[in-house]
Amino acid sequence: MKNRIRVLRAERDWSQADLALRLEVSRQSVNAIETGKFDPSLPLAFKLARLFETTIEAIFDDEIAEDNRGL
Amino acid sequence: MPYCPTSPQERRYVVHMLIAAALCILFSVVAALGFRHAHPTGILAYLLGTLPGLPIVGALAATGLYLHAETDEFLRNVLIQSLLGGMGATLALTTVWGNLEDFVHAPHLGLTWIYPLFWAFSGISYGFVRLRYK
Repeated sequence: MKNRIRVLRAERDWSQADLALRLEVSRQSVNAIETGKFDPSLPLAFKLARLFETTIEAIFDDEIAEDNRGL
Repeated sequence: MPYCPTSPQERRYVVHMLIAAALCILFSVVAALGFRHAHPTGILAYLLGTLPGLPIVGALAATGLYLHAETDEFLRNVLIQSLLGGMGATLALTTVWGNLEDFVHAPHLGLTWIYPLFWAFSGISYGFVRLRYK
């Protein structure tokens, strides 16, 4: 799933390791999520949203919902 | 780059697996020496024959405990996919080999090979799964 984690991270000048530490997950997890290769669970998505002080929808790009809006 | 456990749960799991592997070797030697020199019979023979398998049961239990304890969902997911790959490959190979034994009298594959085969295939599977997330 596409997401804005890299941008949000860069805005705060956080490395992947910094974000991993704040999320209490491995750096590999952050990398896999950031590159869109692994979709986080709902609790982890909420944790990300709280950390970046935004909403889940503002972080993750739900392409299916986009397609449905276009119908 | 050498393998390096990333979470405390993973580190604990690696330690448990190393202990299980060491005990497996030790108990196998004890059982082999016991059967060679003491020639046990009856219930004692069964108990001694069971001994090398106990650390294997422990290793499987440790794997289950690790999957339960691991809070990093990505690491948990990677291991689950690897184990599924290992199980699938082991089931496929042993089923095909079993048929070959029945129909074309292929050499017998002892049941004790299933466990190391499972971990060997799981290890190969782990490599492929990690490659997907590179």
